[in-house]
Amino acid sequence: MSLKREIRQTSLPAIRLAVISMILCGLLFPLLVTGFAQVLFPGQADGSIAHLGTSKIGSYLIAQNFSRPFFFQSRNSSLSASGVDPDITLQDAQSQVARISSATNITRDQLNTLINQHIEGTFWIFGYPYVNVLTLNLALIQSYQTVYQQLDPNIFRQ
Amino acid sequence: MIQPADFLTIILILSSAILAARLLTPHIVKIFTYAPSRLDRFLDPIEKGIYRLLGVDPSHGMGWREYFLSAVIINIFQMALAFIVFVFQGGLPLNPQGFPGLGLDLAFMQVISFATNTNLQHYNGEGVCTQLPNCSTLSTNSAGQPIPGLSYLSQMTAVQFLQFTSAATGICVAAALIRGFVAGSKDMGNFYTDFVRSLTRLLFPLCFVAALIFVGLGVPQTLDGYQILHTVEGSTQTVLVGPVASLVSIMQLGTNGGGFFGANSAYPFQNPNPASDVFQIFLMLLIPTSLCFVYGHMLGKRKEARPILWGAYALFAIDLLIAFIPNYSLGPGMEVRFGGFFTSFWTVVTTAVTTGSVNSSLFGNHPLVILSAFMGMLIQSTPGGKGVGVMYMVMYIIITVFIVGLMSGRTPEYLGMKISARDVKLVMIAFLVHPVIILVPTVLAYATGAASAIGVCVNCPAASTGFTQIFYEFTSAAANNGSDFLGATGNTPFFNISAGLVMFLGRFLPIGVLLALAGSMINRKRTSEIGLKTDSVTFTIVLVGSILLLVVLTFFPFLALGPILEFFQKRVNGF
Repeated sequence: MSLKREIRQTSLPAIRLAVISMILCGLLFPLLVTGFAQVLFPGQADGSIAHLGTSKIGSYLIAQNFSRPFFFQSRNSSLSASGVDPDITLQDAQSQVARISSATNITRDQLNTLINQHIEGTFWIFGYPYVNVLTLNLALIQSYQTVYQQLDPNIFRQ
Repeated sequence: MIQPADFLTIILILSSAILAARLLTPHIVKIFTYAPSRLDRFLDPIEKGIYRLLGVDPSHGMGWREYFLSAVIINIFQMALAFIVFVFQGGLPLNPQGFPGLGLDLAFMQVISFATNTNLQHYNGEGVCTQLPNCSTLSTNSAGQPIPGLSYLSQMTAVQFLQFTSAATGICVAAALIRGFVAGSKDMGNFYTDFVRSLTRLLFPLCFVAALIFVGLGVPQTLDGYQILHTVEGSTQTVLVGPVASLVSIMQLGTNGGGFFGANSAYPFQNPNPASDVFQIFLMLLIPTSLCFVYGHMLGKRKEARPILWGAYALFAIDLLIAFIPNYSLGPGMEVRFGGFFTSFWTVVTTAVTTGSVNSSLFGNHPLVILSAFMGMLIQSTPGGKGVGVMYMVMYIIITVFIVGLMSGRTPEYLGMKISARDVKLVMIAFLVHPVIILVPTVLAYATGAASAIGVCVNCPAASTGFTQIFYEFTSAAANNGSDFLGATGNTPFFNISAGLVMFLGRFLPIGVLLALAGSMINRKRTSEIGLKTDSVTFTIVLVGSILLLVVLTFFPFLALGPILEFFQKRVNGF
């Protein structure tokens, strides 16, 4: 059989398979996953949004710019690969304790305890510990509401 | 040097991947021997419906030519469909960000990139928008070209679609190749049947479960547009979401590697924590490893899988050794949640199975880690990409059998079949495709000034870094790997068109040649008397030695100008 005839013969089922596979792989599969994901894990599926009261104040997984001295601050964005690294190392967090303590009058011990309560990334002997910046700051705001109310009442605006 | 706990982590991940791959093997064998399975009751009617729609006879056995031709033609039509989506995404639905369509040269390069299982990306999934959340105007790269983003429809019906089909194509051609070597085979199987069954019975079920696990771990899966939020400090933040988890599942399981976001699996929404990182590494290894077992099972000689599997993992261990010589610690270009350890480990795995996804910026990696990445991509079977890893291993085995035959002065034979001069010519063509399509365009990029046009310095102390970038681009393209230094910087007509051609040839030329080889094995006379035991430890060692020799001899001058020179320069000047 000549190559030209072979190609012509193959083309019709090939076009059909291309269209069918596009519908199955490109539409049906992601839509099915979206449906199940929205039912089973709605919070994660929408981007792990963090709330303070009823207002959305960020995503736990995406770094935001904390510039005020009474908050833990994220890494400089140019240092990470994603530019939105939401975590910092324990050492980084501990090195910020003195600054936060003098800005808020919360004791260093209390701040260090707070850090230790929110360590992630380790499992038994595996992994390296880190802390999530937004988780820490939210914990600060919620544990010391009156302090932060005085520092900046706008934090609690609804 | 590596910490004991980290060493144990590697051993645990690799052994669980090998174990899971072994458990998956009988299922994959059933798919390609068309054997009855418990899934038949549910899937038979669906598959029969698809065959009827296609108008094909699923039991028609194809020769290698027909099989190969069907694979190529179907792939070309699939690329054409995705091309249309890319170019016209601006006017199509599911585009909440309002991204404009891709340029023709970029769309050309990208469809080849996804259809060949390469997944080099000269765009940023989320675009680099000047006015979020509306992305109709885009920033430009250093060559003045816009950095485009993709609509959700493009991510689904172009990227995910081709990621599924390229993975399925890879598995199918590997199955066809194996059939050629199976004693008593009459044909290479039917491409349509193989393709449909590998989707319905393998990729869809595994990816569905994996995608939901990823969502549980924090990967978004939504069709809503980007979220605009107000932070506690009073500024606004745009959170980039989308149908990410469904893409991540196939990009890793299918060893594709092309991510939803520009930063790939370094972006927290694509890879939120060490657990998701380990799961992605596991998924990458699963099917390539399983196909090594499948080879032995389908041949009916399980021991013949040994040199392929253990050869692959021995080479992989060498890659790991090189990568973990330097101290690894959290550095610039890395993410805190992965640290130095998971970053280096990922880079080795992703190139060893030619996935090409990254969880760091490659600029942050030590030159020895990059050297190890090169080894993975140049060898291509450690254990290599979906399907093609096994094919390349068979190619190396035949070369080794030939070399051993020459040394001992006997006619080379494999599985009791005499290896003819034509066979050796074919495997040499398949082997030589690779260096030609890597080295020629690398030289061209410098000769035509295309390298300096994108800001790669040619006459400066850091020239070795620039050379590594260009050499890496074409190595990654030819190996259908897709990990990538250039990213959106590479969105220039030269790199789009050259990389597109390299990927296409790097994919289909070796596949065609190796299928021709396997096709000629059908009905070949077999003797029961075994001259050379190819399932022994000795043979595996010789195999690993010849692979290293071949690859090092072919590429050493180029490696020396790139990562090796960089290593010594940094040793002198400090890292």
